[in-house]
Amino acid sequence: MTDQEREAVGIPEDAMRRLAEMRPGSPGALFTSDLSVNEFLLVREAGFRPLGLVLGSSIYHVGLQIGRWSQNMELDKLSQAMYHARELAMTRMEAEADALGADGIVGVRLEIEFKEFGNDLAEFVAVGTAVKADEAGSWRNDEGKPFTSDLSGQDFWTLVQAGYAPLGMVMGSCVYHIAHQRGFAALSNVGRNVEIPQFTEALYDARELAMSRMQAEAEQLHAEGIVGVQLLSLAHRWGGHTTEFFAIGTAVRPLRADHTIATPQLVLPLTD
Amino acid sequence: MTPWDGTGLPPAAQARVDRARSSGVRSSLLSVPGHVGIESCGFEPVGEVMGCIVEYIGFQGYGGCGWYGAYGAPGAWGGGYAAPPTVTSGSGSGWAGFAPYVNALYHGWDTALHRMLTEARALGADGVVGVSLTEQHLGTGNREFVALGTAVRSTGATHVSRPFTTTLAGQDVAKLVHSGWMPAAIIVGISVAIRHDDYRTFAAQRAWAANVEVDGYTELVTAVRADARRQLERRTAHSGAEGAILDSPVRLSVHELEAGESHRDHVAESSVLASAVVRFHRAETLPPTPTMVLSLRGGGATIRRRTAR
Repeated sequence: MTDQEREAVGIPEDAMRRLAEMRPGSPGALFTSDLSVNEFLLVREAGFRPLGLVLGSSIYHVGLQIGRWSQNMELDKLSQAMYHARELAMTRMEAEADALGADGIVGVRLEIEFKEFGNDLAEFVAVGTAVKADEAGSWRNDEGKPFTSDLSGQDFWTLVQAGYAPLGMVMGSCVYHIAHQRGFAALSNVGRNVEIPQFTEALYDARELAMSRMQAEAEQLHAEGIVGVQLLSLAHRWGGHTTEFFAIGTAVRPLRADHTIATPQLVLPLTD
Repeated sequence: MTPWDGTGLPPAAQARVDRARSSGVRSSLLSVPGHVGIESCGFEPVGEVMGCIVEYIGFQGYGGCGWYGAYGAPGAWGGGYAAPPTVTSGSGSGWAGFAPYVNALYHGWDTALHRMLTEARALGADGVVGVSLTEQHLGTGNREFVALGTAVRSTGATHVSRPFTTTLAGQDVAKLVHSGWMPAAIIVGISVAIRHDDYRTFAAQRAWAANVEVDGYTELVTAVRADARRQLERRTAHSGAEGAILDSPVRLSVHELEAGESHRDHVAESSVLASAVVRFHRAETLPPTPTMVLSLRGGGATIRRRTAR
């Protein structure tokens, strides 16, 4: 029997004893987490303990704003609504984490679901796992709030290994109405392959607005950069010409001056 | 032949388990990686096990929404005059907002899991891994609850009288065990809440209303989710475990209830399913340090995804 085999047989002995010792009704410090097993173990390895699942929610009435038929324009009322509702959900999630005494929240997901009941109602949900560092340190951000990060446990581990710490999730939203083409303009393009500069510009405008708002948030947090940015086009329920452009990412700060990480080994997995 | 009276296992299940035990044939629902994972941490599969119950849920326990004051306790939320409370099934008496319905759901899952464990114990198992919990509406108020998993037995000398259960797959169980954690039990948390529609929900919804939060509904879904999570924590703590890893995101559904003339309520149901875990290394140990690897598969995926858009 090799050491490895002995160890493999030895481990469940302890485990089985622990199971046998379980005393219903006498808990230790209890945590809940919606991390996967991989994420749970990597977050532990990175030196953090999960404290609990944290969640914030807001049901929001997203009102109407009609764009001028033939004009490219931001629908600022809608942009504000989409941003404000997300902000409410995030703030409530952070408040739960704060109550648990957390240093931060990892694996945050921001979801929007338009509800079947009521008119124009959408639920905005932010959910993640609150964590606390094993060793005391300053993990909270400048504003004294727990850090937030939408990175997976794997990415979080890699980020900390590389000498960075997450500061907070930053986001920017822009709801944009793209002009309809006037009849004669559409007619002149029939049978030709041409760029429609008006549309190109509209999409540029909307995305740039969303990204610059996200950048402004990162600057406010004194971040070094933003990782894992997603730039999404969300049609929601507003029809083809009104789209929300949404930029979201995790702002990071350096933990140390050098950012070298171990050279990865190449593996060829046997899975599909 | 007398019909089965609901105690122990149905005759067909008992016969299958007895035959499996005497013949020694091992069946398993594990995937190949799951099987290898389970073996790597000192367990062997001994058979697939199932528990099931068909339950008639006739009485939901709608006792009003608390609007008229006579039914529920005045709301802890908001308070004040004319602010109806959200009543959750976990609050107050056994009759508060749908508690009989929630208790029927708990009874369904607990019985399915208990019968699965009875089969596992009959096979001499120490645990059941990769358990899936499914429910099916059979119409006319009948609902079927099924628990299905693979029973495993330790190859070592120590065995437990009460087998552990987990929704985690074989690979995940292996990773946990090698890092000093042991799955303990499957925990379900369920809550149903009800709230009367009032000015705090109507006013905000007129077609031309501004962009505002509908705080009445926010309160409803927040309360029901919080109660489901509280149930999960309470039940996890009661099991003696140290933590719970969620199997899937917290589920939520909301529907409208026309309770009477110009009296509308909204009912929200939330449930959460988790695997409780315990640590068996007494000392504070960390999992083995991961090795950085760069996978050689799927290199072109990003580019393909971009061009497809």
